[in-house]
Amino acid sequence: MNTQQEFSRAEKFWMNFKLYQAWRFIVLNIKILMAVYQSKRS
Amino acid sequence: MAKVVVIGAGFAGHTAALYLGSKLGKKHEITVISNRDVFSYLPSWVWLGVGHMKPEQTIFKLKPVYDRKNVRFVHAAAKEIHPDAGDQYVLGEEVGTGNEIRLDYDYLVIAPGPLLNFAGTPGLGPENGFTHSICSLPHAVKTRDSYLAMCERMKKGETVKMVIGTGHPGATCQGAAFEYIVNVHKDLVKKGLRDKADILWLSNEPLLGDFGVNGVQIKRNGHVMRSEEFIQSVFNDHGIRYQVQTGVTKVEEGKIHWQNYEGDEGTTDFDFAMLIPAFKGQPFKYVNKNGEDITSKMTNPAGFVLVDGKYGLPYPELAQTPEAWPSTYQTPAYPNVFAAGIAFAPPGPISKPFTNKNNLLIAPAPPRTGMVSGVIGRLVALNIADLIETGKTTHSEPMTEMVAACIASMGDSLWDGNAVTIVMRPVVPDRKKYQNEFGRDLFTSHLEMGVSGAWMKFMLHHTFMWKFKARPGWTLIPE
Ligand SMILES: Cc1cc2nc3c(=O)[nH]c(=O)nc-3n(C[C@H](O)[C@H](O)[C@H](O)COP(=O)(O)OP(=O)(O)OC[C@H]3O[C@@H](n4cnc5c(N)ncnc54)[C@H](O)[C@@H]3O)c2cc1C
Repeated sequence: MNTQQEFSRAEKFWMNFKLYQAWRFIVLNIKILMAVYQSKRS
Repeated sequence: MAKVVVIGAGFAGHTAALYLGSKLGKKHEITVISNRDVFSYLPSWVWLGVGHMKPEQTIFKLKPVYDRKNVRFVHAAAKEIHPDAGDQYVLGEEVGTGNEIRLDYDYLVIAPGPLLNFAGTPGLGPENGFTHSICSLPHAVKTRDSYLAMCERMKKGETVKMVIGTGHPGATCQGAAFEYIVNVHKDLVKKGLRDKADILWLSNEPLLGDFGVNGVQIKRNGHVMRSEEFIQSVFNDHGIRYQVQTGVTKVEEGKIHWQNYEGDEGTTDFDFAMLIPAFKGQPFKYVNKNGEDITSKMTNPAGFVLVDGKYGLPYPELAQTPEAWPSTYQTPAYPNVFAAGIAFAPPGPISKPFTNKNNLLIAPAPPRTGMVSGVIGRLVALNIADLIETGKTTHSEPMTEMVAACIASMGDSLWDGNAVTIVMRPVVPDRKKYQNEFGRDLFTSHLEMGVSGAWMKFMLHHTFMWKFKARPGWTLIPE
């Protein structure tokens, strides 16, 4: 069952690059809040 | 003056109590009955289980919060529910004295979470078995102690076998087990012991990354990416072996017995195992006005409360019937009785179930995560407020319309920690609304890994503790 699927070197670099991750932190927060507030919340 | 009773003070019950207290507490009587006098923030027990957080950082006393919110707190375990009109009450046993307590109600919220069914798998669990769990605070503490003892053995040069995953063919909560396995990996790397541990993911999921919700799918750069590929990459990157499509049937000291989809029976040796048990509903007795036991009419065979869902559909039909999922969480026979969080009976699984040639059903049960439980808790509270004030409910939200965000932590360090951020819309696929094979909004759904996730997880711990303590602005923080 185990496969060779792996993250690329570039992917790993971006995962740990703090400046980019600070940007992703903002984007993810906005994305989650938008999804939550667009959902019914009725 | 109406009387509202809430059983349980977890994600669902506590959320319901806070909204009920805020909306009705000054004019009506809101009572919470809970067998524990603290609120527990379960998601952080993953960190507790590797010794990175203290137990007291994950809990706080309920009574001071309820005092501020005009909610009465009763420290007792509910046992019996008498739902017939005219004489509706809950019987409980006070913690400490054992005295019987009677709570009359006009509206009832049943939210006692799951009964951890270790007995469902012989040899499972920390009390009468050989495995660990992070599903209760004492269990998580015991897991931590055992894990740290393992680390001491590794420091002396021993190599150990660790198995983490699900301990029953029908278990749920794969997300928590996933978080735990990657946190164990990260911690061992930090301690310089990773090469001394062989770590295996053993789970009942049909595919890796299924998490009991049929996986997560997103659209990235024009092509669909599935959580299966993503989690495979994580495990391969971390050197974690994996075995899915496997139902654990029995555990002996150092040996796990299992069966897989092919019907093969096998064993896996372990020195340390953390396996999530199957969940059942809390074993309440429901009694009608004639004194007859009506439990089998109120709950499904596993003890979860039947609500306004459509039950009994075979999986292929259920997968095409989003309207089968409950939306107000009211019990059909008693519209003033609601079930919230893990306590309500889902109409069936979200992931595809599988029965092997030995007739063993391997099927992850649908998770009712913290977010889902909180959303239902709020919805039920608002509907009770509606019923009291206007006589009819105006709120509804099935899991086929709910969004869930989940941050699966992979190490708690803010510098080199990591986490997978998962957003799912909706939690239960709606193949009528979203016309793709997954029944999900592939644009809103999201899957991403990075240090930012670790920051999110840290932030969530603190914002949710703030919210659950009902500090200023708590209603602005979504469930
Ligand atoms: C280790 C772990 C990590 C998790 N991580 C996440 C995560 O990151 N994100 C997420 O969304 N979800 C997560 N979950 C799932 C989430 O914690 C549950 O979905 C949620 O707690 C369910 O809420 P609930 O209110 O139904 O039950 P609970 O939170 O279990 O609350 C039930 C309450 O009822 C009380 N009770 C029980 N029996 C009685 C009785 N007889 N009488 C009175 N009171 C009673 C209990 O003491 C408790 O206070 C995690 C779960 C675990 C175990």
